[in-house]
Amino acid sequence: MSPTIVGLIGIFALLILIFSKMPVGFLMALIGFVGFGFLVSFEASLNLIARDVFAVFGSYNLTVIPLFVFMGQIAFHSGISARLFDTAYKFMGHLPGGLAIATVWACAAFSAICGSTNATAATMAAATLPEMKRYNYKAGLATGVVAAGGSLGILIPPSVIFIVYGIMTEQSIGKLFIAGIIPGILLTLLFIATIVIWVMLKPDLAPRAQRATFREMIASLSGLVETLLLFLLVMGGLFAGFFTPTEAGGIGAFGTLALAVIKRNLTWKGFIAALFETTRISCMILVIVAGATIFGHFLAVSRIPFDIANWISGFDLPPYVIMFFIILVYLVGGCFIDALALIMLTVPIFYPVITHLGYDPIWFGVIIVLITQIGIITPPVGINVYVVNGVARDVPLEVIFKGVVPFLIALIIGTFLLIPFPQIALYLPSLIR
Amino acid sequence: MDQAYQKTRSFAVGFNWIASAAVIVMMLLTTADVIMRLAATPIPGVYEIVGLLGVVAVSFSLAYTSVEKGHIAVEFLVRKLPRKAQAVVAAANDFLSLVLFFFICRQCVVYAGVLKQSGEVSLTIQMPIYPFVYGIAIGCAALCIVLLMEFIQSIRRIVQ
Repeated sequence: MSPTIVGLIGIFALLILIFSKMPVGFLMALIGFVGFGFLVSFEASLNLIARDVFAVFGSYNLTVIPLFVFMGQIAFHSGISARLFDTAYKFMGHLPGGLAIATVWACAAFSAICGSTNATAATMAAATLPEMKRYNYKAGLATGVVAAGGSLGILIPPSVIFIVYGIMTEQSIGKLFIAGIIPGILLTLLFIATIVIWVMLKPDLAPRAQRATFREMIASLSGLVETLLLFLLVMGGLFAGFFTPTEAGGIGAFGTLALAVIKRNLTWKGFIAALFETTRISCMILVIVAGATIFGHFLAVSRIPFDIANWISGFDLPPYVIMFFIILVYLVGGCFIDALALIMLTVPIFYPVITHLGYDPIWFGVIIVLITQIGIITPPVGINVYVVNGVARDVPLEVIFKGVVPFLIALIIGTFLLIPFPQIALYLPSLIR
Repeated sequence: MDQAYQKTRSFAVGFNWIASAAVIVMMLLTTADVIMRLAATPIPGVYEIVGLLGVVAVSFSLAYTSVEKGHIAVEFLVRKLPRKAQAVVAAANDFLSLVLFFFICRQCVVYAGVLKQSGEVSLTIQMPIYPFVYGIAIGCAALCIVLLMEFIQSIRRIVQ
């Protein structure tokens, strides 16, 4: 059997068995292990798994993940989200759909110190849903806006997805982070436009809240100041070249913890919960990375990624048509497979194609994150919808999925704006070395 | 049996405390290093130590993450199956995962032995690397115990 055939069998086995509820990281490692053993030798394959696992678990670059996750968890457990929402609410609550708009701003701000969508959605849901309920916002709008707004967590830096993509493709994590800023702001504005249009069409969705006094507005600003300080410390230091992404994560986690302790916002119980969540999430991510590394080594000896890249270029199609198909694969795949797993699975295959076609790898990273955001709020595996449902147990899943639809349109518009205008993502990275 | 599972659980939580401590030390060490570097001279070997602490953080949380059902899996199709069939799929998954981590564990012991023999140390501070590879083996062994417990539970659900 030719290596290519074995590689194809491996890919198909993975695509089918992924639905068997076996942890995705385990499955990739298992198929990679068997496939590599079949193509090279089982002796070599045994050596490969030990070396790959050690290389991934002990990679200095990957330690950025637990550190940034810890930073987000501390922010979550110390109530920064509630204070951010309070600021946005005091300034915008009285506008039509004002609470929903405030939720989007608070999500965007929280995303600037948190790198994962689930944490952003969970923390913002807990902070904002009771308020929107109090003002009789319809459940679909209220939950939909949190699920969609939470997805900004991976576009606005820091971002776990950018970190993993950067390491896989050997692109600068700092450049990827900075590339997410303008698309993040653009998407925040698109989400707000969505709310405004939706509420104009159906005013009973969102009754107006009362206007805050000027004094209340000013007093609420302290919620924003701490977040801004942390963001400037972490991202500023990273972009100025003072420290590596791992150091930025360490300093960010330390700064967030120090602020929480000084302001007495974090209980011992909250601290332990943050720590245990951090190890659990980091372990989950690194197991997937290790599994994908073993699977990737199997694919490399099967020569599939090169064959696919050659095969696709052989069609002589215009690059944007190929790009369109790749986006389609992510859109469909994203509905069924977890975002991180999908990226780990497909980037080794598509990345050579993308660079071969002359697309910018940083830009492609942003596109992938945008499509991932779509995936995490679409059924049946829209993780953010389940997270929001976990907080709002009285709201049926269908209602949340329906509430997300208008925001999906905004996300699709955002993605398709980036295709003809890559500068939206690439302008800021072009300014740094 | 349930008591045995409870014991495994507290054992996994105990391991996770070690992983958590590693994360805290990583955070403190990187912060101290940056401050020292801006002020005077950096702490030597922080890159290596942080990488090796990463090994501890992930290896010792493997069992806990599994107990907490924290590993990402695509569930929606299996959830639609009848209960018995779900248990059969779960048993097969647990068994295959057990085999995989048994091999990773065993091979890490072999690999650590090789590293010990050849006297492999980290570049700057000359710290031996092999104990950390044993660490992975210990973490995988703990995960194997969790997987074995879950496998037995799935089998019990099949025969019930």
